[in-house]
Amino acid sequence: MNFDYIDIIQSLIDGVLFGSIYALIGLGFTLIFGAMHKLNLAYAASSIAGAYTGLMSLTIFGLPPLMAFIIGPVMSGAIGLVLYFACFRFMPRGNHLAPLMASIGALFFIDEVIIHETSGSPMSFPAILPDAYFFLGEFGIRGDLLLVMGFSFILMAIVMLLLYRTKLGLGTRATSQQPVAALLCGIPIHRTNSATFILAGVLGGFAGCLLAASVGVLSPLLTLPLTVKGLIVTVIGGLGSIRGAIVAGFAVGAAESIFLLVRGVNERDIYVFLLLFLFLVLRPNGLFGTTINRD
Amino acid sequence: MTYLLGILQTIGVHTLLGLSAYLLLLTGQLSLAQVGFFAIGAYVSGILTVIFSWNIFAALALGSLMAGFFAFLVGFPALRVKGLMLVVATISFSEIVRLFFFNLSWRVNVNGVEVGPDSTQGFREIRYFAANGWEQVHIVGLIWFVVMVVMLALWWLDQVRAGAVLRAVGTDELAAQSSGINLTMVKVAAMTGGGVIAGIGGGLFAHSTTYVDHHTFVILLATFAVSYPIIGGLRSVIGTLLAVIFIQGFIIEGLRFMGDYRNLIFGLLIILVMNLRPQGLLDGHLVADVRKLLARLTKGGKADA
Amino acid sequence: MLEVRNLVKHFGGVRAVDGLDFKIQQGEVFGLIGPNGSGKSTTVNLVCGVFAPTDGEILLDGINLGAIAPHNRVDAGVARTFQNIRLFGELTVWQNLWVAWRDQPGQEQGWVSNWFGRSPARRQEIQRLLEFSGLGDKADHLASNLAFGEQRRLELARAMASKPKLILLDEPAAGMNSAEIKDLCERVLTMKEMGMTVLLVEHVMELVMNVTDRITVLNFGKPIAQGTPIEIQNNKLVQEAYFGSAENAHGGVS
Repeated sequence: MNFDYIDIIQSLIDGVLFGSIYALIGLGFTLIFGAMHKLNLAYAASSIAGAYTGLMSLTIFGLPPLMAFIIGPVMSGAIGLVLYFACFRFMPRGNHLAPLMASIGALFFIDEVIIHETSGSPMSFPAILPDAYFFLGEFGIRGDLLLVMGFSFILMAIVMLLLYRTKLGLGTRATSQQPVAALLCGIPIHRTNSATFILAGVLGGFAGCLLAASVGVLSPLLTLPLTVKGLIVTVIGGLGSIRGAIVAGFAVGAAESIFLLVRGVNERDIYVFLLLFLFLVLRPNGLFGTTINRD
Repeated sequence: MTYLLGILQTIGVHTLLGLSAYLLLLTGQLSLAQVGFFAIGAYVSGILTVIFSWNIFAALALGSLMAGFFAFLVGFPALRVKGLMLVVATISFSEIVRLFFFNLSWRVNVNGVEVGPDSTQGFREIRYFAANGWEQVHIVGLIWFVVMVVMLALWWLDQVRAGAVLRAVGTDELAAQSSGINLTMVKVAAMTGGGVIAGIGGGLFAHSTTYVDHHTFVILLATFAVSYPIIGGLRSVIGTLLAVIFIQGFIIEGLRFMGDYRNLIFGLLIILVMNLRPQGLLDGHLVADVRKLLARLTKGGKADA
Repeated sequence: MLEVRNLVKHFGGVRAVDGLDFKIQQGEVFGLIGPNGSGKSTTVNLVCGVFAPTDGEILLDGINLGAIAPHNRVDAGVARTFQNIRLFGELTVWQNLWVAWRDQPGQEQGWVSNWFGRSPARRQEIQRLLEFSGLGDKADHLASNLAFGEQRRLELARAMASKPKLILLDEPAAGMNSAEIKDLCERVLTMKEMGMTVLLVEHVMELVMNVTDRITVLNFGKPIAQGTPIEIQNNKLVQEAYFGSAENAHGGVS
């Protein structure tokens, strides 16, 4: 098969635009991991679940399509808070396996609820600007993906602002670095962590809605691939690094697109995973991660 | 009877998966690669009996050795990463394996019939047992024989220095290293051992269900594999067995009482158990108490000391 | 036995160890003291291989340790204890020793026996070490269930279990009461009688002054004095390092 550079660049463009969604999910995972040094495996599922509630509220309450993009993230934030209490709040601090396992249980639960409420069939999600298509020279750019990317940038900027310019953000960063000391300084750890989960949840809800809008459908089959991609982005970006998650999101989106072009949909994921494996072997700290600490 | 044998079959195979993850968790490695090794064992032994007409025992042996070999290879890069990164690395490995077999097509004409893995169609006709007069009882017997051997081996590890070394590495790597333990060797050995156990589990699985396809070897199964030792507790192998019985029994039997809602309740159950007993069902205290109880019971027949 | 030449360790901008030289003779108890942050623990970590030096050499009986991996340094005869107790809490007292155990040189058993065997002779020796450490009847207790003083003794026993030539003690007296410190003094002196060489990093002067043969004092990663305990006690530079100069002293200087 021959590809000329046009195909490759087009593919890159599509990949990078789509990658903004991965960046959002990776950012959410990173926020949670950064705050608690624990992994919430139910994160992507709760994002999709939020998008579902947004979608279904349209029919239940007869709302205009735009409301899905508001209700979805809000509900994801709420689900995030519930997840915090169910899987993390009451666990002993040093125990990493139990919260992980609990979040796996939550993942099963959320997936099943989605399947039950929708009878397992995909539902179409309102698209944003479905007919917008620009041409930049010889390359086509999907208008809706451009909007998705723009929106993602706005969200990331808001998150960075919150983390670095507000008291909440300071509290989050302090708690992540030294939980006991933070507690002794009067930082309300549980409230801080709850806020982090809500924030990550809202972020994820946007990601879920944007994802659904880009592909046109919502389906329970989205949760596991989104979880895996999110984890990959988090790791490649460097654990706990916000910048890393964002950059890695775009990189993974682009890589995925190129692999799709070159090897087709059946083998595409093999190469994404090989890329990850290679990365972990050569650069275990990820792009921007700090050196892995010794105990 | 068939129903009961079917349950025993499933529990046996899942116990092997759980034991494979247990060995790794002892050294502090949370690995989701077990399903990958499971798949390798399944496909390799299946191909050997179906395409090359090998004897089942030889096929199972080579299948598990191949799985162990790949586990050995995975072990080294896995050393460089810990915690979350190891989780992601092992997820990637398992997915690579799954996708590889998803695309694998190796069709051969044996005795006039087309057999072998058929990419998206899966690997059918793994009929060694049926073709050689094995009945379900024999198959289940073989599975549980292997389970017992593996459990005994893992129990015995804790009676000798090797077990203490494994657990030391899992507790505090710096202290272990400063006590002269070669971390690389221990972790890679554990990974390899886990691979062999998962491999033989895969081989037994493939032959007892006669059909495998990529849907079987998804990450979900890997999460089950680690959930058994985590929920069962790492103090004792028996914990893993109990967890398998508890979870699989729930899923299978739960169908009767809760119908379609059993997965829902299953998820809630896991959350509940982890909140109530984060150290697992069988923790150090419980095991110590049980041991004391057993000691007292066995002395009970004699006169008061 | 141990020679440290021009040892340097930088962590980014922090010069934890900045040109350290000393020699420890076989069979002596060598003290390393200094105010907090002077580089004592870093030195221990460097000798054990936890960190690699930025510059300088560490020689054990003439062999450069730099090339030797941390776990192999135990084979070379180096053992250590930790400032924050790092026992294997989930393992029993017995297992903690078993894991670190090395047989007497000349009586080594094979690989298989080492990993998978249960040798009665070894069991006797481990039990003897437990008795020596005052833990003879606690072999089956979980390490995390021990009292603080017992944990410190177990940590010391674990270091001795690997039959080291050189044993590094990182603030072993921290948190101890008077009786425990006296007990520790006796133990260290017994270890010296047994032929071990000891590098003692410590703050508790009661221990340092009573057991060491020679002392090096560190300040900001550099050695500022070396000598016998008496010499160090009377050394002006040392007093200044600990208490500040006379002009700044509020009360008397002890």
